[in-house]
Amino acid sequence: MDIREKLKNDILIFDGAMGTMIQNLGLKMGELPESLNLNSPEKIIEIHKKYIESGANVITTNTFGVNEIKLKESSYTVEELIHSGVRNAKKAIEDKDVYIALDVGPIGELLEPMGTLSFEEAYDIYKRQILQGVKDEVDLILIETMTDLYEVKAAILAAKENSDLPIFCTMSYEDDGRTFTGCNLTSMVMVLQGLGVDALGVNCSLGPKELEPLIDEVLSISKVPVMVQPNAGLPSVIDGNTVFNILPDEFAKYGARFVQKGVRVIGGCCGTTDRHIKALVNFIKDIKPQKKNVDNIIGVCTPTKSVIIDGVKVIGERINPTGKKLFKKALVDEDIEYILKEAIAQVDAGAEILDVNVGLPEIDEEKTMIKVIKEIQSILDIPLQIDSTDPKVIESGLRIYNGKAIVNSVNGEDKVLDTILPIVKKYGASVIGLTLDEKGIPKGALERFEIAKKIVDRAKDYCIDKEDIIIDCLTLTAAAQQEEVRETLKTLTLVKEELGVKTALGVSNVSFGLPNRGLINKTFLAASLYAGLDLPIIDPLNKAMMDTIKASKVLWNQDKGATEYLKSHENIKSIEEVKKESKESDRDLFEIILSGTKEEAKSVTAELLEYKEPLDIINDYIVPALDLIGERYENGDIFLPQLIRSAETVKSSFEIIKEKIFESSSEDISNGKIILATVNGDIHDIGKNIVKVLLESYNYEIIDLGKNVSSETIVKAAIENDIKLVGLSALMTTTVKSMEDTIEKLKDTDPSVKVMVGGAVLNKEYSEMINADFYAKDAKEAVEIAKTVLG
Amino acid sequence: MEIRFKIKDEILRYLGYRGQTIDVVIDRMIDDTIEEIKCLIKERYVYKTFNICKEEDGFYLKETDFYLPGEDIKDHLKNSDTCILMSATLGHDVDTKIRYYEKIDMTKALIFDAAATAFIEEFCDRVCKEIEYSLKDTNKVLTSRYSPGYGDFSIGVQQEFLSVLGCQKSIGLTASSNSILIPRKSVTAILGVIEKHEKEKSRSCNDCNKYSTCAFSIGGEVCGY
Repeated sequence: MDIREKLKNDILIFDGAMGTMIQNLGLKMGELPESLNLNSPEKIIEIHKKYIESGANVITTNTFGVNEIKLKESSYTVEELIHSGVRNAKKAIEDKDVYIALDVGPIGELLEPMGTLSFEEAYDIYKRQILQGVKDEVDLILIETMTDLYEVKAAILAAKENSDLPIFCTMSYEDDGRTFTGCNLTSMVMVLQGLGVDALGVNCSLGPKELEPLIDEVLSISKVPVMVQPNAGLPSVIDGNTVFNILPDEFAKYGARFVQKGVRVIGGCCGTTDRHIKALVNFIKDIKPQKKNVDNIIGVCTPTKSVIIDGVKVIGERINPTGKKLFKKALVDEDIEYILKEAIAQVDAGAEILDVNVGLPEIDEEKTMIKVIKEIQSILDIPLQIDSTDPKVIESGLRIYNGKAIVNSVNGEDKVLDTILPIVKKYGASVIGLTLDEKGIPKGALERFEIAKKIVDRAKDYCIDKEDIIIDCLTLTAAAQQEEVRETLKTLTLVKEELGVKTALGVSNVSFGLPNRGLINKTFLAASLYAGLDLPIIDPLNKAMMDTIKASKVLWNQDKGATEYLKSHENIKSIEEVKKESKESDRDLFEIILSGTKEEAKSVTAELLEYKEPLDIINDYIVPALDLIGERYENGDIFLPQLIRSAETVKSSFEIIKEKIFESSSEDISNGKIILATVNGDIHDIGKNIVKVLLESYNYEIIDLGKNVSSETIVKAAIENDIKLVGLSALMTTTVKSMEDTIEKLKDTDPSVKVMVGGAVLNKEYSEMINADFYAKDAKEAVEIAKTVLG
Repeated sequence: MEIRFKIKDEILRYLGYRGQTIDVVIDRMIDDTIEEIKCLIKERYVYKTFNICKEEDGFYLKETDFYLPGEDIKDHLKNSDTCILMSATLGHDVDTKIRYYEKIDMTKALIFDAAATAFIEEFCDRVCKEIEYSLKDTNKVLTSRYSPGYGDFSIGVQQEFLSVLGCQKSIGLTASSNSILIPRKSVTAILGVIEKHEKEKSRSCNDCNKYSTCAFSIGGEVCGY
């Protein structure tokens, strides 16, 4: 029987630990357990046989650590160890009715942004294992003991795209309900069931007793069968050996309880033996598979943060170039820092989801979408909404997004639905449906409702649950289509009541063409919230709008006891206090730079620009202040944080000056462009970033390529931007080699380009050995080098 | 209170502080960072004891296939028959926060990074004290910590070091292909077990591979390692 069929009506019993059984056979620590597949197959077959005899109906191949990274230093290939592992399992089974699970464990290196491995590399590593498993005809793929949800996603996609096999997947949790990388249970369930696994759950790290509350939580929200493989208790070290202390009967007692609660796939992890499995089989033999009650959770997530849409949640709309000159410039210049600052400001202002739209004709939208998503996710813990009309951009964004995202958007057009919905399903996202079609936006509520219904029905055809559909009833402008403003709200209520789906709405369109737009906007927002709006798409930096939401949450009984509302009113300063604080700024820019107060620098620079030319501000205030600060630092009168703070203050001042220049589109005032990068394989970024701030304060334009940057990327950027000076950073002896390669490639392409290097392991001699032109012992020296090369 | 002051001194030392006037803003940033970092840290550690089998240019850990090459580490363990491999980490949240501050406030990022370094070292000190305490009935003590990447003790052993201790499974510590520990604020180290009377004298700066470029030694100080 196909294992998917069996899972519908039966309990599946997996085997117990492989590692523990192997260790009992005397394997040395650090030795490759999978090498036994080839060198002592009889031992592995013996272990499998013991589990089969104890009553397990699925056995797991001895291939947990078989991936190309872990085998790098060994003489074995992935293919031969998997092939022999499956062969051993088959020999042990003979003609019995037992399934073989291809065991797939973590790669052993962490993915970006925590580590250096890219998502695509992880995918390829897993693909190799899956392909061999398929070739050897395993019955299912078991992805287990995972701690990083992103890595799990790479493994599942590799399994889905390269086989039709059932996928079972478990992650390992600490007793606080988090994995080592912080992934919570709700996020795991949302993402794994979205990606379409056949069973999901938890294994390893804890014993059955400690796992029980975690299992309860997973059972309460998972729509797919739940799997559990606990350790035999918590580990303790006795005479240098790790031992587990739960005896077979106690283990089985817990196992039986889990099955009674609704667990459908059960087995053991570290410390469990055939005796544990035998007891388990015995204890659960009379228990029928249980139907469990599941709470339908509606939400989106990152691995560490789940946003459940159980009330009004704000979607921040600012990452969007429409009508924003500076944002467009940032996209064209690949100025990620600007975009990140928009993201941070929105999160600080209370946004709970961020819309990401980078559609601009003159840039590569797909590449930019990938980059922006990765960068935001590397520093912020907030779910994203991928906003594009191009299916390719949506798919690439969903693929590398870490968590469960929203797609913005589809509409009632058949072509759009049939292109985008399969992508939404594949990656397990939610999707916004706009109530318009090829004929445009219908005037009346009923017609718009019909489109919404069509979207929900079509999604169902693609097996997308209505929990993952969000309908946007579309806001029209009161100035032009006054009568139809009410139709939007009517549709909203209809959609909520009749279709039972969540709703989103961008509200600020309503006020186009009218004076005092804020007033119209917040009035319309309040009405929309009353009509049932769940996800207002707004600018969270607009305080009036956020305040309207806070107040509405109190009035519509979402903010229980007005807790949030009261909290937001605790620290409101009186107007007198604010006035008093802002009075400080009688200091001039020179003094402000010396004391390093960034915010003050902005306002004072803006004031100066009213009556002074940008170049005069630079020459009269900034340059002399920097000279003095530099001198003080050289003399040891101030230390590094003080130097950097002043440099950042100058940077703030420059931002204002540059905005002004950009608006009046006069000449470029920068002292020249410099590329900075931390070389391939290295992720120590802080040194490079210090150099960046200081160079920027001396008005050099920095193209910051980030960390772990390949030599090809650096060379390409150097050519495209006609660069004369490149700064490279490396902190490890192991990555200085990448630095040397990069220098060689740069010099091959353009012998006139100068390279300065820095980093803890480097010194002058070493830098000469790798053919660098300059060695910068610190950030200050990098400035002197830049002055020499670029003037 | 005492620990806090010590941490603050350490943070200042990592920031290259040499008695300059610390203005209120920086002073408060350091204090705030200490509090902030305490909430982010998830301290985890693991250690195991091994017997040493000395070879000409390094040594084996007897119960494993793990060979540790290098004169410096051999010298460090010259009076030991057994040694302890330890690893400790502060977890991923600290790394994420440093990445975050690097985008919005480099001064804060710099202080945060220094503080995290001070915290991991302080944590390692506590772990070592605990290990030493477990030896209290044997009249033995521990040498100082010696980490891969120092002297001629190759950083290339990092992966195998972690594997022997089972670090990924037990404390979530991994190394990249270039031997960078991830989470970043983590330490792996070897400690020799020695007789009390052989308690080593402090290692000299001259032995360190960073001696020529060390900012501490140039300023007439020691890094404290």
